[in-house]
Amino acid sequence: MSWQGKGKTTIVGIGYSELSRRPQKSLGALSLDACRAALDDAGLSAEQVDGLATFPEAPFHGAGTQDGEQIVSVEYVMNHLPLAPDIRWYAQIETGLIASAVIEGVNALLAEACEYVLVWRALHNPRGRYGAWSGNRAPGDAQFMAPYGCTSIFQWHAMAWQRYMHRYGATREHLATFVTNSRRNANLNPNAYFYTTPMTREDYFAARWIAEPLCLFDCDIPVEGCVALVLTTAERAVDLRHPPAYIAGYGQNTSRRRALFHYSLDNYMESGHSLASKLWSSSGLGPQDMSAAELYDGFSPSTLYWLEAAGFCGQGEAYRFIQDGRIALEGELPVNTFGGSLSEGRLHGMGHIAESVMQVTDRAEKRQVPNASAVCAIDGSPMLRGSGLVITREP
Amino acid sequence: MATAREKPRPLIDNLTRPFWEAAREHRLVIQRCQDCRYFNHPPRSVCNACHSAALTFEPVSGRGTIYSFSVMYQPNVAGFGDELPYLNILVELEEQPQLFLVSNLSEVQREQVRIGGQVEVYFEDVDAELTLPKFRLIA
Ligand SMILES: [Zn+2]
Repeated sequence: MSWQGKGKTTIVGIGYSELSRRPQKSLGALSLDACRAALDDAGLSAEQVDGLATFPEAPFHGAGTQDGEQIVSVEYVMNHLPLAPDIRWYAQIETGLIASAVIEGVNALLAEACEYVLVWRALHNPRGRYGAWSGNRAPGDAQFMAPYGCTSIFQWHAMAWQRYMHRYGATREHLATFVTNSRRNANLNPNAYFYTTPMTREDYFAARWIAEPLCLFDCDIPVEGCVALVLTTAERAVDLRHPPAYIAGYGQNTSRRRALFHYSLDNYMESGHSLASKLWSSSGLGPQDMSAAELYDGFSPSTLYWLEAAGFCGQGEAYRFIQDGRIALEGELPVNTFGGSLSEGRLHGMGHIAESVMQVTDRAEKRQVPNASAVCAIDGSPMLRGSGLVITREP
Repeated sequence: MATAREKPRPLIDNLTRPFWEAAREHRLVIQRCQDCRYFNHPPRSVCNACHSAALTFEPVSGRGTIYSFSVMYQPNVAGFGDELPYLNILVELEEQPQLFLVSNLSEVQREQVRIGGQVEVYFEDVDAELTLPKFRLIA
């Protein structure tokens, strides 16, 4: 059954702040930069914004939650931008990831709760060692992991990828193809942290281990900055500065798990399918209709799991599917055309959405996929949580 | 080794106390549902499988297989600096699919570790208050 909201809401503006490792400005100031840029891009004024949504989660436990410095909440943006005097709706969510905040905005527009929605994702890059465990008493589930030195999400991803390699016969040679392809795309993306830094396969194999079998370049690059989007209805979108990108469908990961203790690879297909099946059924489109795929890559293997769970290839086939130029810009399914989180920067999926909009509105410049008509953006890891959008050129 | 004393310790709570108290006695116990017999780990107040609250701890064999492993190179966790790089294994206990415990694998070369390898529990007395169940390869 197709979704009645298909093509009725749009993304009409994109704004990037500077993305850097150690900015001079506060995260709050960067976020206001991104919001103003998104409004400017749409050709709207701040006073027209009467809806707000974000997913403000800190990048890891212990990274801090000081508003305007380490996170940027709805409250912060309301207080620091001259928005509509009577804001009609907002949402600050904790589940999904950033596509879920966009989904909230879409539903608010469909419900006529508001007219113009600003959605942003601000990411803080704490000083000190990224992801360091703080505190010597491990509460909750962590008490069964931290005493063994297993506290970081990348250690879980490392174990999942180890298992994948064992099960299907993949190697790091296969993964190198994906990581270097992403970097080639980032080298065409002026917003990317690694815009001017190329990467060869030799560079990839020379990188230090983080948690074997994952090396430094299998991990996304933490940045501090913000990306913002402006959403409105299809009717209101027609007179704005750029052609609108239509929201054709959405999905969230709704799989049930008995244990959240670990990243077992065993349920990634059904878990990811719980999201992807809704993407395809709501939009009436399928993987074969996608001109490109922007698939979450907080750690490089996640994109491979998504290729399988979303049906771009069969289970256990992604590591072969990505070879031979198939996912390059000129290939049959360009993947992470902007460089992904690995090479653009860690924005928890917001870059994936922004790029999908760029592609279907012919604004991706040197990395433009010709006549891109439909692109999907999916965030999260299929075995955990996440959300996604199908974004199209036509309603 | 000075830094080993800085390693994180469990913040034991009412749900997890039976697990750690048994470990002090060098016994491995896992919370089990008395209605559907599902093992829940980490312990829960409601069964993950059937949502019953009739949960008690039962001894398990302490035997399992290596479901996966990784080698940690980052000094992210206090007290582990001297041991870098160190091995983490995810042990699937023989009692139930996907019943996992995390462990280190000490004094083992990286090349000796393989998925599917057989392991058994042993108990490392950290000090008077804490014993950690750990796993080693079965020869
Ligand atoms: Zn039960």
